[in-house]
Amino acid sequence: MAASEANTVAAAATGTSNLPAARVRRIIKEDKDIFACGSESLFLISRATEYFIDSLVRESYEFSRLDKRKTVQYKDMAKAVQSIEQYDFLSDIIPPTVSVRKPATTETQ
Amino acid sequence: MSDYEGGPANEDDLSLPRATVYKLIAEMMPEDIVCAKDTRDLLLECCNEFIHLIASESNDVCEKEAKKTIAAEHVLTALQDLGFGKYVTEVQEAYDEHRKQQTKDRGRKSTKLSQLGMSEEELLRSQELLFAEARMRFQSQTSQAPSNDSTPASANSTH
Repeated sequence: MAASEANTVAAAATGTSNLPAARVRRIIKEDKDIFACGSESLFLISRATEYFIDSLVRESYEFSRLDKRKTVQYKDMAKAVQSIEQYDFLSDIIPPTVSVRKPATTETQ
Repeated sequence: MSDYEGGPANEDDLSLPRATVYKLIAEMMPEDIVCAKDTRDLLLECCNEFIHLIASESNDVCEKEAKKTIAAEHVLTALQDLGFGKYVTEVQEAYDEHRKQQTKDRGRKSTKLSQLGMSEEELLRSQELLFAEARMRFQSQTSQAPSNDSTPASANSTH
């Protein structure tokens, strides 16, 4: 485990989140259908979001590496979103870049 | 409890604090790779969407159980249902620690009062006694005051 992961792991060990609870709560409350959210649930959603960031970052930089780049770019994240089913909800925010799709006519099976 | 923390003035711009998320991203990246600025901002937006997604799904689970407040179990079920089951095991560890912390805090708060060794009624009674004593002291002081001076009323009447 890299030293850089210290913060996220430390937070998990002490039962805290790196994200400010009040802000997360305000974001949740934007949904008018939600009546109330307990503080424990708030904490779980915060932690889950941190793991989400971790996952998306990892998957994105794998594509950067494949392309032999040292900087994670939009297209890497776009590919990550496309390749993972759970990230379908992000397809509106990160529409796939055109270059990812190869025209079907040029390919033969 | 004040929620004000210098956040965005406009509710529509509501998102997680940039600096915090940027720091997390930096920690999660390997030594030799960096994240482009616009990609970091994009990730920030993704976080918002994620929170909305989980909250909404948790709310659905909550409503199905005819409850009004989203509970921890609802969130865990929602994560499973949305295909984020692998987060559940990791979140579980933090959750257990969190609950331990909560009970520790609650325990600390209650010991302050119990350390006095008196029940609430006893505390009230001792408070009443203290007030009564203070009252008596005050009254005896005011009743003693006139005898110290020569009768002011008769002195004034000659004018």
